[in-house]
Formats: sequence, structure tokens, C-alpha cells
Amino acid sequence: MGSKLSRRELLRRSSIAGALAATTSAASAEALNPPGQAGATRAAQIATNCEMCFWRCGVLAEVRDGKVVKLQGNPDHPLTSGRLCARGNAGVELLYDPDRLKRPMLRTGARGEGKFKPVSWDQALDFLAARLKDLKLKYGAESVAMFPHGAAAGFFSTLMKAFGTPNSAEPAFSQCRGPREVGYALTYGSGLGSPEPVDLEEAKLIVLIGSHIGENVFTSQVTAFASALANGAKLIVVDPRFSVAASKADWWLPIRPGTDIALLLAWMNVLIGEGLYDKEYIAQYASGLPELEAHVREFTPEWAEAITELPAAQIRETARAMGAAKPAVALHPGRHATWYGDDTQRSRAMAIVTALTGSWGRKGGIFLPTPLKPGKAAIPPFPKPARERADGAGTRYPFASEEQGLTLGLVEATRSGQPYPIKGWIVYGQNVLESIPQRQKTLEAIRQLELMVVVDVLPMEQVNYADLVLPEATYLERYDAPAVTESAKRPFVALRQPAVQPLYDSKPGWWIAKEMARRLDLEAWFPWQNPDEHLRTLIRPLGINERELRVRGAVAFEGRPYIEDRRPEDGPLFATQSGKIEIYSPMLKQMGYDPLPRYTPVTDPPPGSFRLLYGRSPVHSFARSENNAWLDALMPENSVWINADVAKDLRLAPGERVVLVNQDGVESPPVLVEITAAMRRDCVYMVHGFGHQSRALRRAYGRGASDTQLITRVGIDPLMGGTGMRVNFVRVRKAGA
Amino acid sequence: MARYAMVTDLRKCVGCQACTVACNSEWGVPAGFARTHVHFTPVAGTFPNLVESSYVAQCNHCDHPPCVGACPTGATFQAENGIVKIDRGLCIGCGFCVEACPYDARFIDPAINKADKCDFCSARIANGLEPACVKTCTAHAKFFGDLEDRSSAVFKMVYVDGARRNETSQVAPGPNVYYLGKQENVDLALASFAPRLPRLLRPAEAWKKLLKPLIIAAVGATFLGQAVAFFHQLTSGEKQFDD
Repeated sequence: MGSKLSRRELLRRSSIAGALAATTSAASAEALNPPGQAGATRAAQIATNCEMCFWRCGVLAEVRDGKVVKLQGNPDHPLTSGRLCARGNAGVELLYDPDRLKRPMLRTGARGEGKFKPVSWDQALDFLAARLKDLKLKYGAESVAMFPHGAAAGFFSTLMKAFGTPNSAEPAFSQCRGPREVGYALTYGSGLGSPEPVDLEEAKLIVLIGSHIGENVFTSQVTAFASALANGAKLIVVDPRFSVAASKADWWLPIRPGTDIALLLAWMNVLIGEGLYDKEYIAQYASGLPELEAHVREFTPEWAEAITELPAAQIRETARAMGAAKPAVALHPGRHATWYGDDTQRSRAMAIVTALTGSWGRKGGIFLPTPLKPGKAAIPPFPKPARERADGAGTRYPFASEEQGLTLGLVEATRSGQPYPIKGWIVYGQNVLESIPQRQKTLEAIRQLELMVVVDVLPMEQVNYADLVLPEATYLERYDAPAVTESAKRPFVALRQPAVQPLYDSKPGWWIAKEMARRLDLEAWFPWQNPDEHLRTLIRPLGINERELRVRGAVAFEGRPYIEDRRPEDGPLFATQSGKIEIYSPMLKQMGYDPLPRYTPVTDPPPGSFRLLYGRSPVHSFARSENNAWLDALMPENSVWINADVAKDLRLAPGERVVLVNQDGVESPPVLVEITAAMRRDCVYMVHGFGHQSRALRRAYGRGASDTQLITRVGIDPLMGGTGMRVNFVRVRKAGA
Repeated sequence: MARYAMVTDLRKCVGCQACTVACNSEWGVPAGFARTHVHFTPVAGTFPNLVESSYVAQCNHCDHPPCVGACPTGATFQAENGIVKIDRGLCIGCGFCVEACPYDARFIDPAINKADKCDFCSARIANGLEPACVKTCTAHAKFFGDLEDRSSAVFKMVYVDGARRNETSQVAPGPNVYYLGKQENVDLALASFAPRLPRLLRPAEAWKKLLKPLIIAAVGATFLGQAVAFFHQLTSGEKQFDD
């Protein structure tokens, strides 16, 4: 039981920044011009932050005659200092996308048919409240599940907890960063959070394992990465694909997919065997080195060569490069970490290499967050849910976050009615058909529902299945919880405030949640009259000047990023049970898992098949941006990357289209081939987010193919229930053949 | 007088297209067209020893701009600071400059039927701002400045670090956009996107081509007018004149 408590504590520390709700006033902001901008260009500049992805870069919205005419980076933003990526620059096209959801709608046709009638907000919310009360009466509050994603999710989470259901799950954990957070928390006592505090700009050596910075664009991360390279940092890129990052690397390691742990173990073997690790650091801060030393003795580079298909000499050379650059080795922990189902252990292995190079809390490695203590609204305690979570988070999967849950677990529970019926879904800002693998299961689960509510900006796939559709205002039209970012060199609070009033009959998320609370008699959990009040409660203890925050968009504080900067009030350096870096994890041992990471063999694709890999494009965000006019012009569809020799064998020609057929017979729509030397022979690659099936997305509909559609199998991480999605194989057939 | 230049550090550029969209947004460039755009070279070499580079395309503001000579109306001109500009009032959208540009940096904006291209964000630099692409560049890979100013970053990149222009022995109009990076990457980028021979129309030819349709149109219009008047008279008969 003792371990359970500390496990919960560990999870709390690893949880991905609890969403704090707050907001502000448009009227006051619109009259103001940030200093240094006044008169420089035109019109009013509203400082806010971006939501074209979730990095939340600082944006200035230029407003003329009530219209946003241009977005640009906010030079006052402490993290992004005026830089903005393609998507951020294209945000105006989301705001004025003619396909936006415009008013609340009630379903009139069959589920999936896409027939609705417009209703008023009063009608919509009264309907929703009545149905939720009904479900609570019939099946209990826990029969309602929520799938949130995005900045206003905190308001809905509060609502659902107050309603009495424990069932809420977001892809940020079980389809993304979960294994990483758990793996690092097990080792260091705390996870990484977002943005991940990788000290790229100070690094002498950057190590990327699958991370494709440059194609995966988070503005400040790209800036830091590029500036490190220009300053002479060395770069190791481990990726089966010759990514943009790989094209800049000193060492590109085209690893056999799924064998990363073998490489990491061999690196440990060399770092320890050749005495290259940071001995002082390990002696002072870490426990478990002798166990690791014994464990990795057999995992030589030669052993790894046979598994990874990387030359032993190269494995040795790269390990030595780490030894030489220590402690300024930025081994990037990755972000989307759910690959093969052994992902927490891979993250553990990465965390251990970082410990060996003495890089956690050191310049050029992983820096430390600086705690901020924002205020909290006085709300009653949440009612204790009548039953445990339905998805096994915290029980079957002991290291799954009970705050963020397991999306696929909730889908399964809904589909099967086990351990208890789930009859209502509230989907906020999450495309459940594109973000959760095994789409067929999701559709089957939806059939079991008595109520499905979707809150979104655009008519994404799942909208067609909803009973009730609530149109949310875009990030440029709404207040949201400000970003309280501790994992930055200078921690900061950044505001999201509306640049213009919501278009059509759309409403901000906070308003929708608060209005639902009113109708469900849960107003006590929303004890603020308006966003201004909420913001003031939050920033008061931080001593932030409200006007400065509204005008400049962000207020930063002094950071204490390295071990030597720490103060007692920052808490223990390593909040593990032992107070040390746990190279060997007694907690994992106690709970029956490998206390040191171990390589488990991966299955090779059958002859004629290829492992399906997927990744990101710098001009699109997941499945969210394909309908954006400017971004569509830059990348209207995805293609499937195939090794040039393989393409020759398959008699494929450039510009041809192919159909991908996965191991379960699921076929993709015809998709362009990209014949390239930049791929291994045993895998194919595509950018995630295309293949939209919602006809209401008039630009994106039917363009390209969806990797999610082909992900019918998953490797479940036994520790935290994450869904490894790189375990699917496809055959390639000429379209029309 | 200033000599403005742009330098892209290809070691840093990741090809994210932030510049492209910032430029579209700044200047209202219609979707599908671009004043600046990042391309990637084909992947060269044999697995696993591969080379690839990004390449940022835009107007090069050449010392000897082929587009200026090709413009029949004088709409395209070179300012004293080296920036090649288009006077929209004079542009007739004939597209000769588009043909003449060895870098394919120009296009006809279909909304206004005028030639368009990068002007180094002249309006922004006049206000003391950086060009929109430079300001937004996520990799901080683009640098803009004055080559006459020895303390400028671009001066150092060009004259100390050896940033290179994209020209060949056949086509060397003196471009003022430079590329910095590892030699193998810059070599590949410049070889992949080498300037083409200008499809240059001398102004005289241009005039002829322009005049011909004009004359035909004028003759046609005169004839048509005569014909209309003739048939009008035939049908309505001669007007009675009051004396």
C-alpha cells in the first residue's frame, strides 16, 4: 500500500501540467497597444497565444475593423520571442474558415449520416443537462465519459469531476507522452511536462531518437536546435528514416525499427565499460549503478549490432561522443512516445543514459522546472466517484495517470459495457476517430451510446456521430486558461485572450462548461462570475501586474534551471522514494516489472510487408489543420515514403498512387508514393492527419490517407496502458491493380 | 547607399515554411502562390550516406536584373538600394518578367493580373522592421541586412564566412540572396536549383509583340465600328435632318 501512495504521488509529479482555468476581458485589451509595436505597423495588436498546436507560442493578432487581418509572433513572449511557424502564421484561415461549425445542432438523421437541425444554445444546453441527469439516474454518474483535449479542457474536467464521473481520457497521455512521463518520473521522481525542458541551445551534443525536430515543429524547440547546430553542437539522429534532422546529423543511425532499447543498452555498456560516465554525478545523486553495470555487461555493441543493424563501431563511436560531451548531452526524451508497447521501459533507458552522462539538471542537458504557485479558486471537494475508472488507469495499468486516463480503455469499456455501462460521451476538441487507434472499436463503442456530445470548432469526423454538436469559438475569439509554464528557463504565465468576438453563434469553452454547470446545479465549482475574476484569482499570489499581462501577453520570472540554482522551496531534487536518481527501480521490482530496462525482440514484417511508420509535417497539426487554405496549399495531401530499391522491385513510378493493405485487410484510399533513398527497406512512412472522411471539411475531405485507419493493432504498455502504434504492417499495391 | 542582401543559413533552416506563410499573410499573397518558398533537394548519395538540403527561393534582387530589361512598361525597376520593385500602376500583367527571371521568383497574381514577387519587405524595412520571413523564421536561419555596412551580420556571413550566391557560368546576374552551410549541402542546393537561362525578350521584341495585338485590335475595332454604323444606317434609314 505504501508503494501505491508513492505511486500516486509519482503520477501527480509526472502528470502533464494540470490545466488551470482562467481568462480575461476583450474590451480592456482591445484598447491597448503593446509598447514597441505602437504605430510600427497598423491597427490594434492583441497579445495572446497560439493553438494551431499545443506549444502555445506567443502571438500578436492585428485587428482592424473588428477583423483579424494578420498574426505575427509576439516578441515579448519569453519562450518564442516573436517567432511563429507556418501553422501559427496561418491561424487567420482557421478563424475565417467557411466550414466552421456555426451554431448548436441536434441530430435528426441516423448516426454518421450528418443530418442535423439548428437549435438555440438554451435548447441545446437544456437538452444536454436533461440527458446527463437522466443518465446519472439510470446508470450512475460514471456512465458519462469525457474525451478532452486543448486549453479549455480544464473547465470541462472540473465539470465532469463535479458531476461525479472519474472517466476522462485524453490522447496526450495514452497516445503520446504518457510512457515518457512515467519512465522519467520512475527514474528522477518527476516527469518532464510540456514544453519538455531540454536544454538544446546549450548542448554540445544532441541525441534524437525518433524525434524529427524540423518536421515536428515547436517553434522555440526548432530555434534552440538550430542555434545549437550553428554553434557547433554535434548531432546524433536515430531514425529509420533520413529525416530533416538526420540530414543535419554528424551521425545518422538508421536503426531497425523497434530495437531502440538494444541500442540504448549498448550505449550504457560502453559508457560504463569504458568509464565514460559522469562518476562524480552518479556517486552523488544516483543509486543502482552496480546493478546496471552487471545488467548491461552482456549488451555489447556487437550484441546490439545483430539486433539494430547498426555497425558496432558506430554504436561505440556515438557512445564515446556522449562521454566526451558530458554533461552537455541533450538526449531528447521525445514527445510522441507510444511506439511498440515497451515504451515506458524505452523511456527509462533514455532517462538512464541521461543520468550516466550527468545531464539531468545540468547545462546543455535536461534543465529543471522552476515552480510557480498560482492561486486557486475556492471550490468544494469533488464528490468521490461511486466506482473506479472504467479504463483500468491506476488499477490494471498501475502507472496510468488517473487524471488523464486511457482513451482506448474507455472505448473498450463503452463497447463491452464492462466493468460497467458507459452511455454518454462528451468529446471536447478531440478527434476520437483520428487520435485513437482501432477506429472500428471506436465506431462500435459509439453505437452503444445513448448520448454523444461534441464540442469543436470544425466539423471533424466525430461530429457526424454526435447527438448534439456545440460550436466552440476559435482560440482567437476566446479566453482560456493561461499557460502557467514552469518547464522553461524563465518560467512564465501567458494569456489567451480574445482578439475578436466569436463569429456566428459559437461560444468559448469556459462559457459552455459554466452554463452546463449552472443547469446541472454544479455552479459551486465555478465560483467566478466572469473570466476576469478567474484570472485575478490565479495571478494574485504570483504578483503579476494584470495590465502588463494583458498588454504584453506574457509575464516571465527568474528561473532556476540548473542544480546549483536550486532553493529549498523548490522541493527535493529527486522526488523518488530514495531521494536519488533510481537507475535501478525498486518500485518496479516491488510491483513485478523489470527494474532495469530489457530489450524484447520485435516481430519483423512478413515477407512483402512493411512496418507502417508515421510522423509529422511542419505545416500541419495532427488531423486539425488540413482544411486550412494556406496550409492546404503547402501540403494538400500526404504520400507514402518507400525505399527506392523496393519501389523498383514493386515497379512503382514517381507520381503513382498505391493502396496500402494492412495485416487485417484494411485498405487505404489511393495515396501518392514518394520514392526515396531516405527510407530503410523494411518500413514505409506517412505523415499523420490526412484522409479526412468528413464531407463538411470541404477542402480536406478525401485527401491523402489516414495512418490511424491502418492502425488496427496496438502494443499495450503493461505499466501505463499506452497504445504502441508502430506495430502494424502493410503491403503496397498499385492503385487500380 | 545601402546594398541589401538576404542570407539563409542552410545548416539551420529546417524547411518549415513559416517564412512562406508569414509572407503570404503579410502581403495578401493568394494561397497557391508565394513570394518565398522553401524547397528540398532530392536526396543524393547511397544509403546510408545521404545528403539533402533545403533551399529558400525568392527574388534575388540581382545586380543586373534580367526582369528589368524585359519589362515593356518600366513597371519593374531597380531602386538605388538594389531592391528590385514592381510599380503596380504601370504593370500590365504581360508576364515577360516572369519568363525573364532565371530564378522563377515571379508570378502573375490572378486576383489583380499583375506581376508580384518579394521586395525584401520594403514597406517593413522603411519602418525599421525586419522582413516578415526573417522575423518569423523558427530556426533563426534567415538574415537580412546591408552589405555596405561592415558591422552587419550579412556582411560577416558573405565576406567572412563565405556565403554563396546561386549563379552559374552561364547565368550570373549578380544575385543578392546568399546561402551559408556545409559545402556538400550548399553544393547540392545550388546545383538542384541553379538559375535557368532567362527567356529574355528584348524590349523592342516586347513592343512588337505588344503592338501587334494592339494594332490588330485597333484595326478590328475601326472596322467593326464602320460595319455597325453601316448596318445601323441600313436598318434605320437615313435620319431626316432639320435644316
